[in-house]
Amino acid sequence: MVCTVCAVAAHAQGNYEIQVYGADTVAPRSTMVELHSNFTAEGHPALDGVAATNHAEHETVEITQGINDWSEVGFYIFTSEQSGLGAQWVGDHIRPRVRAPEKWRWPVGVSLSTEVGYQRALFSPDTWTWEIRPIIDKTTGRWYFAVNPALERTWHGPDVNQGIGFSPAVKISYDFTKQITGGLEYYADYGSITNIASLHNQQQQFFPAIDLNVSPKWEINFGVGVGPTSATDHWIVKGIVGRHFDWGKQKQ
Amino acid sequence: MKPTIKMRPEGNVRDSTASRRAFLRNTSLAAGTLMARGPFAWTQNMPIASLPSAASGAKTDTTLEISEIEWELAPKKKIRTTAYNGQIPGPLVRVTEGKPVSIEIVNRLDREEIVHWHGQWIPVPVDGAMEEGSPMIPAGGRTLIQFSPRPAGLHWYHTHAMAHRDLKRGLYSGQFGILHVAPASGDPGAYDQEQFIVLHDWEPYYTASDDGSMMVSYVCGSVNGRMLGHGEPIRVREGGRVLFQILNASATEAHWLALPGHKFQVLAMDGAPVATQATVETLRLGPAERITALVTMDSPGVWVLGEPRKDFRDAGMGVVIEYAGRSGKPQEPGTEKLIWDYRVFGDSTPAVYTPDATIPMVFTSRFKGHGALDEWMINGKSWPNTDAIIVHEGLRYRLVFDNRSMDDHPVHLHRHNFELMSVGGASTGGVHKDVVIVEAGTKVAVDVVATNPGDTLFHCHQQDHMDMGFMALFRYAQVNKA
Repeated sequence: MVCTVCAVAAHAQGNYEIQVYGADTVAPRSTMVELHSNFTAEGHPALDGVAATNHAEHETVEITQGINDWSEVGFYIFTSEQSGLGAQWVGDHIRPRVRAPEKWRWPVGVSLSTEVGYQRALFSPDTWTWEIRPIIDKTTGRWYFAVNPALERTWHGPDVNQGIGFSPAVKISYDFTKQITGGLEYYADYGSITNIASLHNQQQQFFPAIDLNVSPKWEINFGVGVGPTSATDHWIVKGIVGRHFDWGKQKQ
Repeated sequence: MKPTIKMRPEGNVRDSTASRRAFLRNTSLAAGTLMARGPFAWTQNMPIASLPSAASGAKTDTTLEISEIEWELAPKKKIRTTAYNGQIPGPLVRVTEGKPVSIEIVNRLDREEIVHWHGQWIPVPVDGAMEEGSPMIPAGGRTLIQFSPRPAGLHWYHTHAMAHRDLKRGLYSGQFGILHVAPASGDPGAYDQEQFIVLHDWEPYYTASDDGSMMVSYVCGSVNGRMLGHGEPIRVREGGRVLFQILNASATEAHWLALPGHKFQVLAMDGAPVATQATVETLRLGPAERITALVTMDSPGVWVLGEPRKDFRDAGMGVVIEYAGRSGKPQEPGTEKLIWDYRVFGDSTPAVYTPDATIPMVFTSRFKGHGALDEWMINGKSWPNTDAIIVHEGLRYRLVFDNRSMDDHPVHLHRHNFELMSVGGASTGGVHKDVVIVEAGTKVAVDVVATNPGDTLFHCHQQDHMDMGFMALFRYAQVNKA
């Protein structure tokens, strides 16, 4: 998951970028600009000096620049808006990513992302975090599968001593038409890999989601998530709108 | 379509021999003098087919042996593929128009194969298309075919086997070579040097295309079986006239070619002389297209004849042209504009024909998933669930290709050629071909005269499109001789 700014503490969930990564990278000489809009319809109240997620609107701008046919760099600007706090800057992350080039002709897409960033203590007690995210995906016929077994590490904050946390994400989808793809996304945070949290304290989210493939220039994703465990925000509505911009001469 | 049999109207069929003579005459005139024919040369060491026959008793002029080989595209790039006579491209087969030729084909593979004689107006049993009824060559088997080559010009032979999802088969492999048919009247040879150029792409893989469907991309490309910088350069002399005989044998990719500092005078396309020998800066060849072009070597130096598009050139699509006494780093193309219009080679005042019937052919695709190849259809039907198109011998048919898809299609008609009548709505004439690229969202109209009875395959020459149903059969109506 992608709760890229979330620390693994049970009530510090982020919900700023909710997306299962595919292995593709942004093409060289092009830029992807995405707006992630997530509204927590039923979340958690403010606790221990950390802002509530309940009824919070999180807007994240993600800008990804393609470097070559096997790497890209992404940059995030996280914001939050909620009653009593107004619009707030939450933090920024940077995310370099490499992939196995297509010309290696591997049977599955493979990519490795790493993400480093800061978020204000008001929104996450763990202010500096690092994540490494292997990405494996496969498209076959109308089906698409993606797995992101991400590992997280807190560099500054109460969870420094927790060690490495495990936050997998999975997506399975089906092409109903060329334009409409529907599927299920799963996001979780199991806590430390050496001390898996109880189910009660794990974050578990399921998002039935739709991807609209209206144009190669645009990426559109919409989903509604349910979190069945007490540590998880219970209802979240998410949307992603992305636009590709090409710079210079592209491969023909 | 008219239900009755008619004789071919006089004047509706271009006399290809006369046209060819005109082409050669024009070429000679352009040269100012009739020059002695220069040496034939492959870029690399590609011998003319001359293997001894393995058939018992039968006299053969040429033997093609299909086998699996390891081929060195570059010192650090070896591939395993299948090829003819252990070489890529296969041996140059030189024959003379109208002079019968016997060719033995030996299949050393563990699967059936078939060899198509692309561009030849020959009978179904030897054309090499199982959809027409040509026999397959069994695994480990051999066959002897005989035919009288026609028409003259630059043609080729290649496997006509399906590949489907196996990217080692069909035209993804190295099973291709040039068939050059010399005119029966002789070749005056208004050039100093004849150079065969065969383009091919290697190591295919599936990738997502911009339109959301799967497509085939390649790791590398080659000219005459070598990646750019790894074959012998083509050596030329200043002032020489080089006749380039160029074939795009790629399974799916159209290619552009440019030679910086030089221009191409296009003499023929798909073996047929063009009405106007226009001079152009770049050449575009769809899969299976051929161009015969004359280049006057008037810009001494070391150059790359190759793809103007850097990505393709970096992948190996090019060959070095080296003037005598010159050395240094080859200068690469790249600034040329990618412009191609078949009509510049047409008649300025094209003849107007009235076809006996017009046959619309609408090209569409059906989405099968972002991880699958599209299914291709002609008039709403996909091979083999198509209806044969019935034609009558002697009649002129106008085929109107209406490409409603997002892909370009290099469509090919077996055992016949056709004349371009309009491209993108603009009239033309005098350009005879057997492959034409119908660009996405455009129409091309061609006239074909039904002069070679027998089932005749029509298909997109992109291997993946052909494999996914982009084929149809023209069937000659039976004549009741009673």
